[in-house]
Amino acid sequence: MTDYAVRFSKKQRLEHFVVMTTFVLLALTGFPQKFYEAGAARFLVKIFGGLDGARLVHRVSGFLFAALTFFHLSAAILSTLQHKMKMTLVPDRQDFKDAVQQLRYYLGLADEEARFDRFDYRQKFEYWGLVLGGLVMIATGFILYYPMLVARFLPGELIPMAKVAHSNEGLMAFLVVITWHIYNAHLAPGIFPFDPAIFTGKIPLERLRHEHRREYDRLYGSDVKTAEAAGAAQEPAPEKPAPSDA
Amino acid sequence: MITGRKGLISGALFAFLLAAPLAAGPKEKEEVENCLSCHGDKSASFKLPDGSVQSVYVDAVQFASSVHGTKISCTGCHPAQSELPHPDVKVRTKAEFSASFKDLCKSCHFENYTKALDGVHFAVIQKGGAAPFCTDCHGSHDIMKPESPKTRVSDTCGTCHSDVAEVFGKSVHGLALAKGSQDVPVCVDCHKAHDTADPKTTSWRLKTVDACAKCHTDKALMKKYGLSTDVVQTYLNDFHGMSASLASEGQSPRVITALCVDCHGMHDITKAKAGNSQVLQANLQKTCAKCHPGAPKNFTDAWLSHYQPSPKRAPLVWAVGIFYKVFIPFLIGGLVLQILLHLWRVMVNR
Repeated sequence: MTDYAVRFSKKQRLEHFVVMTTFVLLALTGFPQKFYEAGAARFLVKIFGGLDGARLVHRVSGFLFAALTFFHLSAAILSTLQHKMKMTLVPDRQDFKDAVQQLRYYLGLADEEARFDRFDYRQKFEYWGLVLGGLVMIATGFILYYPMLVARFLPGELIPMAKVAHSNEGLMAFLVVITWHIYNAHLAPGIFPFDPAIFTGKIPLERLRHEHRREYDRLYGSDVKTAEAAGAAQEPAPEKPAPSDA
Repeated sequence: MITGRKGLISGALFAFLLAAPLAAGPKEKEEVENCLSCHGDKSASFKLPDGSVQSVYVDAVQFASSVHGTKISCTGCHPAQSELPHPDVKVRTKAEFSASFKDLCKSCHFENYTKALDGVHFAVIQKGGAAPFCTDCHGSHDIMKPESPKTRVSDTCGTCHSDVAEVFGKSVHGLALAKGSQDVPVCVDCHKAHDTADPKTTSWRLKTVDACAKCHTDKALMKKYGLSTDVVQTYLNDFHGMSASLASEGQSPRVITALCVDCHGMHDITKAKAGNSQVLQANLQKTCAKCHPGAPKNFTDAWLSHYQPSPKRAPLVWAVGIFYKVFIPFLIGGLVLQILLHLWRVMVNR
């Protein structure tokens, strides 16, 4: 039987599920509006019951995404201030070193892969890409949904600017997800076909040791054999750091 | 275009079949002279059952100079009247008499005849209303080429649609038409001549963009007047144009986004820079407020006036566009490169 370590809390799994669902809905209802001349655009719009239906779905999903982002960030800031959460997702100098090491390994200039902590630089990049990109989408989406309100206080040129930014930022997020995220979570050798950790919340110890060696060493000690650590990992002790995300 | 070609071929066939018997040879000339011996008399008339008197006079000179004058003889259109005395006419009123000629054009002008059956005027006739058919617009014994000169078209429609004709006459297109321009659209260029659709439907409303685009994307034609051909693409790139492209015919007309005519006006369209133009910057706030009640002054700047964003026009929009044009390929290229490097390493390690 494989031994597991807990990697994601219920809250985190739920957050991922909501982001995933709203992201798909936003893309399905957003891209037909960006690529309105494509034949598939008409087809997609029709599925959502016409343009008005597609826009309703887009706006409801958008509000849900915005609410989640707000909730997530406030909770993260609050927990960090109360010292309940470690800032394991904040990029630091080590990430830069890891990235260089990893690239050197890919190019054959180093013999060993970088040893990552709880989140590697790729995961941090994707997290912050989502947060910052999400904030851009929320701000520009707000301008596009309330153009009259915005124009009362700010220059009108912000509205077409928001349209360009919203549609391009959305395209960029989509492209990052279908290349980077799909590769790292599905297609990469060793992961294929599917990394279920974000849905089940647990990761096999062997994978944790391989992909997050520094975290593994911290939790179980570099000398402890996997088998010995297994018992503790089934039911993670409370003093071990709760899965943190900010 | 396929139907147009088909029509051309069938039209040519008809012309060929009919040319032989109908060419105005000596026999036909004799027939016309025979008919005119009675119908050439200005007092030629008969009494209808409802008591009114219907004239059957034909002006010989007018007919001779009409498009058919040298091509068809009387029985070509009135085959039933080849007998003498003429068979009884089964109509009771002048209107019915006029309507009885409705199908006479069909045998030669079959394509336009069938098109007219799809038109909004025939739909009115079918419901028992008064609406024009072939001869009401084209005339009968005095038929001329419909677009020579082009003003004939708007004059013809104007006999019934006088209110619209008057407004159109004052528009930028109507004024140019009066000065003899052959480039501007007249009624039928947008509304079609025979298969005239009901302009109150959503599907027709959505097609108006194409009607404007037909001329306003024609580079040679627009160059003549110093007008931009970017207007359609810049409209489509905007929120309104994109919404119109994706709007479905099932939507109610109220919900459909602003089309060309909603800002520029329709029959009353003016030069964009004329003082009374709805799209002049000074009047724009009012025009926007038609759909966006209470639109603040800044709101009009949201519309880029058919200009492509550039460092001079809408620099903010331009800059953001450039940023993503550079950043997206850079970012995605970098990520894909890393993926490829990873795969390469995995393969080498094997």
